[in-house]
Amino acid sequence: MDFDFSEDQAAILSGLEQLISSLNIEAPKDAVFSAYSQALDNELTEGGFLDITQQEGFGLLDGALIVERLARLPVSVEAAASVLIAPAFLEDTTRRPVAILQGKLTKPARFLPMAKTLLVDTDDDLLRIEIPEGAVEEVETLFAYPYGCLKNPKALSSVSLGAGQLAKFRRRWRIAIAVEAAGLMQSALDLVLEHVKTRQQFGRPIGSFQAIQHRLVMAAELGQAVRWLAFKAAWSDDEGDAAIAATFAQDSTPKFVTDLHQFCGAMGLTLEFPLHHWTYRLRALLGELGGSSGQAIAAADAVWGSKNV
Amino acid sequence: MSESLDDFRARARSWLQENVPEHGSPLEGPESRDYALAWQKRQFEGGWAGLTWPAAYGGKDLSVLQQIVWFEEYARAKAPSTHNALFVGMNHAGPTLIACGSDAQKAFHLPKIMKGEVIWCQGFSEPNAGSDLASLRTKGVVDGDELVVNGQKIWSSYADIGDYQELLIRTDPDSSRHHGLSWVICDMKTPGITVRPIKTMAGPAKYAEVFYDNVRISLSNIVGGLNNGWKTAMATLGFERGTASLALQISLGLRVEELIAANTDAVTGETLMDLRADAAALRAMSYQFAIKSETGPVGSEGSMIRLYFAELAKRVASASIDIFGIAAPDVLAEHGLGFDYFDSYSETIAGGTAEIQRNIIAERVLGLPRGSR
Repeated sequence: MDFDFSEDQAAILSGLEQLISSLNIEAPKDAVFSAYSQALDNELTEGGFLDITQQEGFGLLDGALIVERLARLPVSVEAAASVLIAPAFLEDTTRRPVAILQGKLTKPARFLPMAKTLLVDTDDDLLRIEIPEGAVEEVETLFAYPYGCLKNPKALSSVSLGAGQLAKFRRRWRIAIAVEAAGLMQSALDLVLEHVKTRQQFGRPIGSFQAIQHRLVMAAELGQAVRWLAFKAAWSDDEGDAAIAATFAQDSTPKFVTDLHQFCGAMGLTLEFPLHHWTYRLRALLGELGGSSGQAIAAADAVWGSKNV
Repeated sequence: MSESLDDFRARARSWLQENVPEHGSPLEGPESRDYALAWQKRQFEGGWAGLTWPAAYGGKDLSVLQQIVWFEEYARAKAPSTHNALFVGMNHAGPTLIACGSDAQKAFHLPKIMKGEVIWCQGFSEPNAGSDLASLRTKGVVDGDELVVNGQKIWSSYADIGDYQELLIRTDPDSSRHHGLSWVICDMKTPGITVRPIKTMAGPAKYAEVFYDNVRISLSNIVGGLNNGWKTAMATLGFERGTASLALQISLGLRVEELIAANTDAVTGETLMDLRADAAALRAMSYQFAIKSETGPVGSEGSMIRLYFAELAKRVASASIDIFGIAAPDVLAEHGLGFDYFDSYSETIAGGTAEIQRNIIAERVLGLPRGSR
């Protein structure tokens, strides 16, 4: 087993770092609602980072590395669906950003305000819908991602991709949830570790108190576990791996987020401290695709065939 | 013949049915102040303000059991959250003045609080004195019959719309830690005060930073004695850590019942059963504590209730989003579950962090040796 980056992977990630640093991306100071970076989206598209999985010699794991890195940024960009999901189902992957939805077409979806394509899991079919200009109404949420609803779903034509595609669609969606969560958790943890090293109370850094150290160690363990389960699922593209990675990511999030905010005190609750840029998004991911109980049932089906028990 | 609890309950229920406002409070700014004061005024005029406060100052001198019944009916009627701009006046400043204030202070301030004429805010924490409150540095120097205050407070809820502040300052320059502090009533219109609201991740500007530049406060505004402020402040925090959140706790239990009714998922159902058990346990603990507090001073068990409530409130807020989904109208609405969820993070921070509460419980309730700070 080789856990080191290949030369190609290292080169891609290095290129991505250069792109990110060239944009001088900073955390928005007063954003409660979505902070989407169109500039980043443009650069990623131009640099070919979003179609990595379609390039010769590269696969889902390479795409996952890119998505994970982008999730660590304090702004959002639609990458997970474009990189990890859409290439398996769309002939024209240039019609992006791609929004994904499960259930009724009237439900709000992440990235729908800027999406050009919507993929919908209706429970008995996978639909592709091209989104024309003006078809979406933006929905304000506290969850940092841009959300939108179709104004009149019946007026839009959809293409059936077939119920046979649903298992793969959900599998890729689960991988995307886990990979994105891993990046969000890493940045949130890094920020809090820095805070507890410098914030002093009772004449010493609060990070020197064992009560805080122990819980931060547990948070770091959760973050690492989510990360490696996500990468394993991206590497294997296996039903069970994907469901377990998503279950673990969604199950871990509440405790992880709670502790991180706790250690930043009241400052961590303000828009002046950037932690919310990651925790908003982690909370949003927590509800995707039926939440952790939905993933857990999928994991049981995939690994143990529970439906047959 | 005194009114039975059942009759009292019926009367409370009937009044609340007639009087609870149709719409919730604006979340911030002058509108939230007007809303809170109007609601308090209506309760006062209906005879439902200051139920356990002394009759000598306009209160009703009722029993804790009657207070509990009122809160039960209040929660059931979905009356405005008690965690609003009136919270500090009704749950901190008022009870502190009753316990530690002079007759003149009580006579002047308690009726104003009960009648819905004033908003109070808190001024305890400082940028470098949060959990370590005793390290606060805002100072007051005695000059004739006045204190001259200089310094800075932070996380002062409602300071931007407040009339009075419970201000904790260092009045003995040679003192350190808990010694040499004073708890002072600060009129927020006094020259030299600057307030900067702070927006939270839940959306509204729930907190504020307050700066004091040669603010002159009469010595007659000191509550509990000059340089005796730590004792007064602990009384204040004792109220917050005890029964202040009783109405909210009862609401929380009712919220869990609503979630159980709305839930269709077996896995979430298990979580909800845990929450229901926790809510029932919390309610029993709180009632026991409240009734005990009527007959004499109570210990630090209030910290257990405060902590239990805070952590349960966060879990209920999180479960609410799980059940309705992140983009449900109930989650996105102005007073929706999304706001509740992000706002609930403050529960384990305000009024002493969960870590401080655990220290208190470990040392004063469980009798464990004090650890190094």
